[in-house]
Amino acid sequence: MHHTEDPEGTSRRSFLLSSGSLFTTAWLGTQWAAITAAAHHAADMAAADLAAAPQWTGFRFLSESESKDVDAIAAQIVPSGATPGAREAHAVYFVDRAMSTFFAAWSAEFRAGLAEFQSKFRALHPDATSFAAGGAGTQTAFLRTVDQTPFFETARMLTVLGMFCSPKYGGNTEGIGWKMMGFEDRHAFAPPFGHYDANYTGFVPYPEKPA
Amino acid sequence: MTMRRFKPNETVDFVVVGSGAAGGVVARELSRAGLTVLCFEQGPRLSPADFEHDELKYWFLSGITSDPISSPQTFRKVPADTAKLPRGPNPLMYARLVGGSSNHYTANFWRFHEIDFHERSVYGSIPGTAFADWPISYRELEPYYTKVEWEVGVSGLANASPFDPPRSKPYPMPPMPVKSSGVLMEAGARKLGLHPYPAPLAIASQPYRGRPACVHCGFCMGFGCEARAKSSTLFTMIPEAEATGQCEVRAASYVFRVETDSAGRTTGVHYFDADRRPHFQKARAVVLSANGAETARLLLNSTSNRFPHGLANSSGMVGKHLMFNQGAGVHAVFEHEINDYKSVQVTRVLHDFYDADPKRGFYGGGGIDARINPQPGLWAMAAGGDLPTWGPEFKSRLEAFPRSTMSTGHCTSLPLEANSVSLDPSVKDAWGIPAIRVTYKDHPDDLATAKFLQDRSYEIMEAAGAQKLWRERVEENSGGAHLLGTCRMGDDPKTSVVDKYHRTHDVRNLFLCDGSSFVTSGRGQPTMTIQALAFRAGDYIGQFAKRNEI
Repeated sequence: MHHTEDPEGTSRRSFLLSSGSLFTTAWLGTQWAAITAAAHHAADMAAADLAAAPQWTGFRFLSESESKDVDAIAAQIVPSGATPGAREAHAVYFVDRAMSTFFAAWSAEFRAGLAEFQSKFRALHPDATSFAAGGAGTQTAFLRTVDQTPFFETARMLTVLGMFCSPKYGGNTEGIGWKMMGFEDRHAFAPPFGHYDANYTGFVPYPEKPA
Repeated sequence: MTMRRFKPNETVDFVVVGSGAAGGVVARELSRAGLTVLCFEQGPRLSPADFEHDELKYWFLSGITSDPISSPQTFRKVPADTAKLPRGPNPLMYARLVGGSSNHYTANFWRFHEIDFHERSVYGSIPGTAFADWPISYRELEPYYTKVEWEVGVSGLANASPFDPPRSKPYPMPPMPVKSSGVLMEAGARKLGLHPYPAPLAIASQPYRGRPACVHCGFCMGFGCEARAKSSTLFTMIPEAEATGQCEVRAASYVFRVETDSAGRTTGVHYFDADRRPHFQKARAVVLSANGAETARLLLNSTSNRFPHGLANSSGMVGKHLMFNQGAGVHAVFEHEINDYKSVQVTRVLHDFYDADPKRGFYGGGGIDARINPQPGLWAMAAGGDLPTWGPEFKSRLEAFPRSTMSTGHCTSLPLEANSVSLDPSVKDAWGIPAIRVTYKDHPDDLATAKFLQDRSYEIMEAAGAQKLWRERVEENSGGAHLLGTCRMGDDPKTSVVDKYHRTHDVRNLFLCDGSSFVTSGRGQPTMTIQALAFRAGDYIGQFAKRNEI
């Protein structure tokens, strides 16, 4: 295999020299129109999201006791603490909406799984009125016994989606899941993107082809 | 500009089925050659303003992809099994809208290397596989790779990788600005004596041919580009085809059968319009660019007395040799913020392990890049690794999102006759057309290659100073987005479906051009080669038409 002469000449060299700063202020200047267009689009989308974010009017699929247990399970999957968890993100609202609309095909299976979960819990803890009413230690100890079941995996998936998908689906209230995770919901960014690319000095070509 | 609209009884020179990576290019090349082209697309025509940052819709509700409710697919590992409808998304993922999967691809645009086209001659046969040379060489395809880079629009740095194959021109745009993940991968790899280089991407790093530059929103993989910076055919080839006045793109029109006459020539295609009314479109010739799954399905669904086993299938090879590209990643957490959710998915890649090496004890090779599942929901679904997947430790893992990245190996899949797209014997789609049945089980060498590259990724991230590292499981594929090899190209009509010019061996005026034409899988980034093939096919088919050789 042979390589053709580098056909880029000076343009390549100047790119190498300037690549550390090429995409900062000057880049923003030349790209402003495109970024503005994207920002308008982002604003439109954010407004649409807010408009579409459902006003909570009560559960449509989950019964009151089911909703409390689902909320308690979600709150153990992503617990509250120094930062918000699944409870504050209203993951349970997302679950209710999912089961009554876009994941309705799975709703009977989900309900049956939840019923089995509840009856297992009651068998082990006859004194507790429900999983939701159990203490935190009781809840986590029980979850360790069921966290390999398909029902738990579904509950985990729904909790994660309910925390990190668009607020328009009922969860991730006011984007607090994104804030907890450190994700900025914007439609345009400019370099540097992180700590390590801030001081990158440019790609240094290899002197020769390796053996 | 007045768009061309063909009348119902008009006979067009060419029907092109599919408006994606290949179909968009073929339609543009043929219409520029002065031929009339009607390009069918089963999905809708969307505009950039229709694209959203909505993970639930795009990843979990089949927002722009083939939808398991209306267009189900079944899956089995081996022919002895009964294929089943999987839970969740379809096993074969492709986008269903004007521009096809070039809307939602990640836009990694590596060229194949010279070795990809003649590996069988170099390494010999591999028992139990249909490992073969291509009937064309890299040299023959090189001008068309260059055409993709300049006419579709690719950013990159020419000859930055010492393993790059020869090229006749530099890239038209500089590479995208490096991200922290690329800086880390580059530092780790250079420490190990490897040769990382700026990733070539079909994304505009500066304004290009009337399109703006990337605004680094981060939603490339799986999403349509709202900035028009990704070089999807929706923004590039399709409008240029329409501008010739010779081409109509007919969206929401689902071609379900290719018709042939008693002489064994195709006469046109049957399709459903948006209201599911059937129509017939007459054409002098037909090009199928419906992707590596749908092209094979369409041929198998076009049986007749003359073609009882499917159209262009005298070899029995239609649908066979499906290849996905194996691969596996290593997750890494670093001390400081990386914010890998910003900007394009990949900014550094290396090809030190591209070639197969018999000393490894198995066939295969590939590339390694730095990347992540960039969007928060998708990433959180896969977060955890060897940590608990719920509770306070899981939450800490989620909170490490800004400091997290991955290094992923992308590698070969061997062509196996049993791995295939066929027709399910009982499942039909919402239009009553037999559904796709997928049969797929990775060759052990594919899994060994994925593991080998994953170990190299691990070493790179370790050398880059990762605080925590863990491997994804190397697993057998249960589906894929790279749909390759199902109507392979070859000189011998007994073992291949199309010749080196993409003409079917059996039907003189029927051509196939998309991932189905691949003979081998390449190393994981197929769209660049699909488009180079499409430019070449368009060039030759146009010449055949002008010389009355169709």
